[in-house]
Amino acid sequence: MKMQTNPSTRIRTERRTVIRNYIRLYLLLIRTSVRSRMQYRFNFAFGTVLAAIIQLSEFLMVAIVLAKFGAVRGWSMYEVGYLFALMTLAKTLYRTFGNEVHNLERYLVEGELDQLLTKPLPVLLSLMPRGFRLMPGELLQSGAILTWAMGAMMRSGQITWWAIPQTLFAVFTGGLILFAIGMATAACGFWTTRISMLQNMTEDAAQTAARYPLTLYPGWMSGLMLTAIPVGLVSYVPALYILRGELGVWVFPLLAAASCLAVLLALAFWRFGISKYQSTGS
Amino acid sequence: MISFRSNTRLYLALASKAYARNIQYRSSHLLHNFASAAFGYLYACIWIGLGRDHSLGEYGTHGMMQYITFTQTSLWVASFTTVGLGIPQSVRTGQISLDLMRPVHLFPHLMAKEWGQIAYQFLYKSIPIYLVMLLALGLTPVDGGRTLPIALLALAGSAYMGICMGYMIGVSALWTTESSWLHWSNQALMNLLAGFFIPLQWLPVWLQQIAWASPYPFMLYAPTQFYLGKGNPLNLLGTLAWCIVLTICCLLLTRVMRRKVEVQGG
Repeated sequence: MKMQTNPSTRIRTERRTVIRNYIRLYLLLIRTSVRSRMQYRFNFAFGTVLAAIIQLSEFLMVAIVLAKFGAVRGWSMYEVGYLFALMTLAKTLYRTFGNEVHNLERYLVEGELDQLLTKPLPVLLSLMPRGFRLMPGELLQSGAILTWAMGAMMRSGQITWWAIPQTLFAVFTGGLILFAIGMATAACGFWTTRISMLQNMTEDAAQTAARYPLTLYPGWMSGLMLTAIPVGLVSYVPALYILRGELGVWVFPLLAAASCLAVLLALAFWRFGISKYQSTGS
Repeated sequence: MISFRSNTRLYLALASKAYARNIQYRSSHLLHNFASAAFGYLYACIWIGLGRDHSLGEYGTHGMMQYITFTQTSLWVASFTTVGLGIPQSVRTGQISLDLMRPVHLFPHLMAKEWGQIAYQFLYKSIPIYLVMLLALGLTPVDGGRTLPIALLALAGSAYMGICMGYMIGVSALWTTESSWLHWSNQALMNLLAGFFIPLQWLPVWLQQIAWASPYPFMLYAPTQFYLGKGNPLNLLGTLAWCIVLTICCLLLTRVMRRKVEVQGG
């Protein structure tokens, strides 16, 4: 005799199976993407070394300013190093998984997005694994700067071992926030096709700005970086609590809520944008 | 033997076509200028913020605002050239074999196109960004603009060096699929060693030595010093010397490239 199941339970089970299948497929696509990159080992190693040089030169720009002037608005060299490393790690997390979202313009201009729309998968799911990027150069570089900065602050007693899990949490929420900003910016491309100019402001300029304490900027600019383009939540706000004990422990639930909200809003905007998308034609 | 001189009209035509192609998108590019000026404003804000707590040496806060205004403006001439002068794309599509077969040398051919692009960028990007930044920061041209001619002369040398470096990066596409990384590395080194954000005399001595052993300081730092009225005219000789060295490198690389190129598929 067949067992009668509750319809809502059945729907839940089906939904769970679908999500499990999506995750399995996502991992499979990532494996394929990594394997294809590894066909060109020299290129991969070459790109990794150059990425590390780029990171190093970017950090040197910040470090030289600090070495010359000592502190930035009361933030020591180690604290600013921490801000830099936190932002770079969060960006690495975002670009490792969401690089193709950042590169959406290419798909829009060349009409490749139309192919993805014909697949029986959500566009994001078929888009993201295509450009899964291993970024060991950035990871090593920012990891080394973070270790150096946190090591020095631990030795001086400014922070304790507790700062390590707190920092990892901030990297994770920061990665989500940057992904949300990147996705919302990319979604504008469904109307405008070209998004590089917008990305220059919402991603490149904003991330560069958040490597320094926000007190350095005029009030309207730091306000913008805490609300409309919330890069301040990636590095500055967590650093205020983790390094300086300012604000309060409520910073962590705030970061979790803000990152989830940012992703949900960006996802809703993405869905709305894709419903309005018109192909660029052939 | 491919003649350089007899093709002057061709090179002029290539440059003007590249200029005309870009001009079709000028309204969209003008929007782009807003983003670039925002970047410049951000860097200026960093120096303004630092200037509140520290004296900024021989420049002062006002001088650093002028410094950043000029370097941000100059990037569109000296640094933001076409990635690898379009060679990586030609390598991918196989077009490179046809380009090498043409009865014109590849280097001046691509250089002519890039000059058209740079002329466009100077008129429609550098100048508007310069004006926007002057307005946003409440500045006026240094010395009533009297330093501009020599600064622009040095900047023309920077543009030539930028073209040569772009060409060499482009040629590397014959050996690696990652030549875009070389482009980005070049940009990063430009920011650091050309004195885009930090004047070279503030770098540690070891880094200053590395910088001055490379062409980078002549690409941004030297023109900016001229603009600020602090430049030594002898620095123009350094620009000239690097232009000659880089030209020789490009010509030698083209020779190697001719032997390396292979066509795949059919």
